[in-house]
Amino acid sequence: MNAALLLAIGGLTAVGLYLLTSRSLSRIVIGYSLLGHATVVALITAGGPAGWPPIAGGAAPEDMSNPLPQALTLTAIVISFGLTLFLLALARRQRTLSGDDLVEDDLEDRRIAAVESGPTETEDSVAT
Amino acid sequence: MIFGLLVLHVAVCVVLACAGRRLGRSSLLVGAVPPACSALWGAARLGASPPATADVTWVNGLDLAMTFRVDAFAEIMTLIVSGIGVLVFVYAFGYFGPGATHTGRFATTLLAFSTSMLGLVWADSVWTLFVFWELTSVTSFLLVGHKSTDTEVLAAARRALMVTAGGGLVLLAGLLLVTGEAGTTLISELAPVDGTAATIGAVLVMIAAATKSAQVPFHPWLPGAMVAPTPVSAYLHAATMVKAGVVLVAVAGPALGGIGAWKGCGLAFGVASIVWGALGALRHRDAKLILAWGTVSQLGMLITLFSVGTPVAVLAAVALLVAHALFKGALFLIVGEIDVRAGTRHIDELGGLARSMPVAFAAAVLAGLSMAGAPPLFGFVAKETAIQAALGLDGAEAWVVGFGVIGGSVLTVAYTFRFLVAVFGPGPETPLSPRRHALSVPPLVLAVGGLAAFAVLGPLDAVLAPAAVRLSGGAPVDHLHRWPGLEPALAISAVVLVVGAIVGLALGRTPGQAPADHAGRWTDASIDGMVAFGRATVVRVQHGSLPVYLVTMAAVAPLAATPLLADISLDHLVRWHTPLQGVLAATVVGAALALCWVGTRLGAGLALGAAGITVAAVFVIHGAPDLALTQLLVEAAIVVGFVLAFGHLSRSFPKTGLRWRTVRMTVAGLGGVAVVIGLAAASGNPVGAPPLAELAAASVGEGGGSNIVNVILTDIRGLDTLGEVLVLATVALGVQALARAASSREGSAS
Repeated sequence: MNAALLLAIGGLTAVGLYLLTSRSLSRIVIGYSLLGHATVVALITAGGPAGWPPIAGGAAPEDMSNPLPQALTLTAIVISFGLTLFLLALARRQRTLSGDDLVEDDLEDRRIAAVESGPTETEDSVAT
Repeated sequence: MIFGLLVLHVAVCVVLACAGRRLGRSSLLVGAVPPACSALWGAARLGASPPATADVTWVNGLDLAMTFRVDAFAEIMTLIVSGIGVLVFVYAFGYFGPGATHTGRFATTLLAFSTSMLGLVWADSVWTLFVFWELTSVTSFLLVGHKSTDTEVLAAARRALMVTAGGGLVLLAGLLLVTGEAGTTLISELAPVDGTAATIGAVLVMIAAATKSAQVPFHPWLPGAMVAPTPVSAYLHAATMVKAGVVLVAVAGPALGGIGAWKGCGLAFGVASIVWGALGALRHRDAKLILAWGTVSQLGMLITLFSVGTPVAVLAAVALLVAHALFKGALFLIVGEIDVRAGTRHIDELGGLARSMPVAFAAAVLAGLSMAGAPPLFGFVAKETAIQAALGLDGAEAWVVGFGVIGGSVLTVAYTFRFLVAVFGPGPETPLSPRRHALSVPPLVLAVGGLAAFAVLGPLDAVLAPAAVRLSGGAPVDHLHRWPGLEPALAISAVVLVVGAIVGLALGRTPGQAPADHAGRWTDASIDGMVAFGRATVVRVQHGSLPVYLVTMAAVAPLAATPLLADISLDHLVRWHTPLQGVLAATVVGAALALCWVGTRLGAGLALGAAGITVAAVFVIHGAPDLALTQLLVEAAIVVGFVLAFGHLSRSFPKTGLRWRTVRMTVAGLGGVAVVIGLAAASGNPVGAPPLAELAAASVGEGGGSNIVNVILTDIRGLDTLGEVLVLATVALGVQALARAASSREGSAS
């Protein structure tokens, strides 16, 4: 396995995770995209060493790179593209509705927390 | 037939649930029909062999099945559960006056309990047993909390539910361990097991039995449950449900009896409960509480005898099980009648009842003497056999069991006499409401049952002995005797009766205070603590912040990589295939890091594009031109989309605290390290060279194309690629819908 690419995968994953846990939807999209990069590089690196493009008649078979992981990676790129686009569309809608791209806390969960920390009012609040 | 009876129970339950409001009090009489059928069936089966079985498999191969098996012991339990059930239904008809409300609901729940209890004693699969075990806990909760407007009642119901349902969880863990070790889930096929797992499982099963059967220190829920209507106390908390733990110890005895810890735990629970329960019965001043504490003591005696497990002890336990159901059921029903007619059951407020309630008094004396173990009643036979069982043991066990059985018997006689004197003794006459036959007949039937059982001991022995044989693992057992002969046991019995009677009569009506319920308060406090812990956990865990949820997950996931640390091998690791890969790796990580620092959305979009293009270059060097092309196209589209979505939001990203940033960085770094570890470990296990020559030949020959990657995508896995196209089409539709919704909103707002 290729140590340089291995470290690149680790770096992309770390930065991707860091951005994924932020509050800004645009950074979340970027983080998701970086995690996708890490995954496709990992797939292709795990498939074997670099070589000539796997085109019959172009190079001797023993000098070619492994074509199977490339086919799988192509699918991965396309699907992750679709998901990223969908996220972007959701983010645009969020921006239109709230004027910003921040992920708010779940208000329902906050309400439960507020109720639970004041046990005296539990029964009434749950009943209503 | 087994399923037929269960279906009948459930069907009547449904009818009562629907029509209970209209039927009112008479729904109690309708509810008595299914138990009557079961009791008749059980009585007709007595002595029949082989056992009746029925099963329906739910999941093949997982041993998930409803399996029932009615053997000699289950037949006796059927008679207790359903026979006393009929009497209790009739009694409840009298207990709830014509003006009572919610009697339909009460009848439904009581019948549901009766059904669950039948299922429990008939169960052969441990999972069937577990399901019905939990059902009895739930129906007991509903019945204890019948008067659901009273906070004291609700607290008692909660206590009963938390202790018995908590015990149910312990039971589940114990059964998993035991059945895993034994290799079967059928109780009738359990062979003796040993080993650490089986020992832990056995102890857990014993603890579960102790919670259900109200053994010290889990006992406070039983006296608390006395706030329930008296038919419930008599039926659930004297005759049947509290026996579930005893039944469990009994049926598991042949398989687990050889485990030292099982017996040790059983004796500890049992003897402690015999003594503490009896002392409680001697100190309380509420007639119902006296009986409840006495039940704790008697259940301790049953657990002790079944834990000892010798054939004589098991025979004594089976006899005591029957005797206890008869006398304790009767006494509870009598106290209920007093409660209804006198309006109180506090012994200081009762007087002259022996004269004003002669039938109840006669029944109470019969039942009481059976409880004390005096001839000529069935309780005498049971206690005599128990003393013989204790005398037949050796070593320390003989001392412990002897102390429990003989000491417990003295205390039992004492609290029985105190009960009779205190409740029926002389004093200013208590005014009574008119007599109701439905109230006075059922206890009389049960009390006379104790006398009749003594009279027909021969046939009864023919029924009880096979059950004892089954529960002692097939060992031959002795017979029950009306007259044991001049033996040490008889002398002990005589001394026990005399000493106990003197103590009981002396205590009789001495004034005093009922003891404070410390154990009950501790139980409630620990339940409160548990609930508070649950609330605090919910507030902490369900905080509603998406970033914190993600960080929590990302912090836990890297742990999965720890076992791979040992597999890392550097043999197959090379620095790079060309130095250009090193440069590109540094560039892509640099672009990614820049993404964290860049201040504006537009800048972030451009940096994202830079990272994507570098990845495309990595593909080029790796020998994957198709990937590089796709990546370039995709990246261009994403950058355009990003700018469209966020471009004009140019103000800087929201600031976060340094501490939170540090936590995120640490977790993210750990995630990156974990991925590197996983991949490095995987690279130590190469699968060999791919069959490139064959692929190239097949690509040209069969696929008709020289680009192998394209042939794989469009030919070899063409269906997958079709799916991929569908995914993209769906995304396109979704994006379009979202964009239109967003723009129409924008339009209407402006």
